[in-house]
Amino acid sequence: MTGFQAFLGKELWEILRTWRIWVLPGIVLFFAVTGPVIARFTPQLLQAVAPDTGLVIQIPDPTFLDAYLQWTKNLVQIVTFAIIIIFAGAVSAERRSGTAVLALTKPLSRSAFVVAKYLAQGALLIGTVAVGAAITWALTYTVFGEAPWRPLAQATGVWLVWGLMILGIMVFLSSLVGSQAGAAGLGLGAFVLLSIASIWDLAVRYSPAGLLGAPTDILVGRAGYLLWPVVTGFALTGVALAKAVWAFSRKEL
Amino acid sequence: MTPAIELHDLTKLYGPVRALDGVCLDVPSGSVFGFLGPNGAGKTTTLRILTGLARPSSGGARVLGHDVVTATNQVRAAIGYLPDVPGFYPWMTGRELLRFAGRLFGLSGHTLTARVDALLDLAGLAGVKTRVGGYSRGMKQRLGVAQALINAPSVLMLDEPTSALDPIGRKAVLDMIASLAGRTTVFFSTHILSDVERVCDTVAILHRGRVAAQARIGELKSRYGMQKIAVEATPSAEPLAAALAHAPWVSAVERPSDDRVVLAVNDVQRAQREIPATAVAQGVGIRRLETVEVSLEDVFVDLVGVER
Repeated sequence: MTGFQAFLGKELWEILRTWRIWVLPGIVLFFAVTGPVIARFTPQLLQAVAPDTGLVIQIPDPTFLDAYLQWTKNLVQIVTFAIIIIFAGAVSAERRSGTAVLALTKPLSRSAFVVAKYLAQGALLIGTVAVGAAITWALTYTVFGEAPWRPLAQATGVWLVWGLMILGIMVFLSSLVGSQAGAAGLGLGAFVLLSIASIWDLAVRYSPAGLLGAPTDILVGRAGYLLWPVVTGFALTGVALAKAVWAFSRKEL
Repeated sequence: MTPAIELHDLTKLYGPVRALDGVCLDVPSGSVFGFLGPNGAGKTTTLRILTGLARPSSGGARVLGHDVVTATNQVRAAIGYLPDVPGFYPWMTGRELLRFAGRLFGLSGHTLTARVDALLDLAGLAGVKTRVGGYSRGMKQRLGVAQALINAPSVLMLDEPTSALDPIGRKAVLDMIASLAGRTTVFFSTHILSDVERVCDTVAILHRGRVAAQARIGELKSRYGMQKIAVEATPSAEPLAAALAHAPWVSAVERPSDDRVVLAVNDVQRAQREIPATAVAQGVGIRRLETVEVSLEDVFVDLVGVER
């Protein structure tokens, strides 16, 4: 593992020096900024869309909860898609460009290569979502005058378990499949399967599928016992990383 | 002395294709070793196995006595490697890339800084501030050699380091390689024979996954190269060529011009006796008769060219 620290440093540095610092943070921060504002003005927006139809739309006055729900909905849907697309080439891109050969013919093991990739991208994800949640909280407080931090922190924390698991799955798929598009397709397939599983009560209680609806459930106060989804989510992340190391170690470069 | 690189019956299969077919090879320590072969001969596959990027199907390979399959860490710590198409992080500068490469070897502080400075000088990139993404092919290749030297390797492996370079870029890379002679074992794959003649002391010729020949260059020429004798005749070399074409000691006849004939011979002394006699008999005068030096290209073509 001589080269692990050097490679992890390179990964973090690469995030700061390339497009990576703009894409995921850009998406997350955009929704963090717009979520509370859209929640506050949703009734006015709907009235503006259909002013002369005679249709009467009765919407209760929005609250901080609507802003929080907007944030978690975007995390569960759009940010999950973004993770799948962005990280589908996490490992395979270095194989295709030849930079993996540059690093792996030096004292850097393939397991260190894969783990460093995961840790660096995981740090980006955690940092970005933490900043996004803080912005959501601050703007929600500004717009609504009320913004309890605990439910937002809990919902975001549970989603991060989900996000880190999806990241682990994408690192595995990127190690397994040479094509970025292929890995993204498989990642979307895994997302669809987990979404389908989330309508089955037993899967929601005892598998990572329960993480999908958990952020919303926490906010509306109907969250059940989340220990099993969280534990199995971390376990699946570990399995995905172990499989990623296995798949990448078998590849000839 | 233990050879720097030993290949023993090394075989690599890609499905039904035998990319390497029982390769046996010893690379002496301290040599600049040319690993020659036409495209597709198995040179890159051999290097990929030596560097741990691919696994042999059977047989074995050792670098500095370490098995490349079971002792990959020891092998990687001792080698420098430049692939045929090196990939670099385009967002790094040359200095940043060398520092990153050095840190992968555990180098740091003053040692790393001094080594990076020296290698940037050696590669002619000391004053270059642009990112690697903006480098020319030649600059990338020189940077590739420099990064392969960052750990002061005992064995430097270069895969076609001069292919696709212009003459100036090629000269610069060859000068870098030549400057390492005696300090580092250089294992240098190429199909450019003039490069090998210029910098290598020992060569192996790989053909269809097998070693067709291995020796020091001079020995290889004398062992495998057909001797050639060039004759300049007057008024024409035609009668002499026709008369000698069927002589038992003549293997081939070339006519580069009307007054010149080049004979590939298998008995030089007999040729030197009989050519003047034949010329007299044919009424042909001899202006010049000389032994032509055998080139590595002649040896290469003799060994692999005819079968292709």
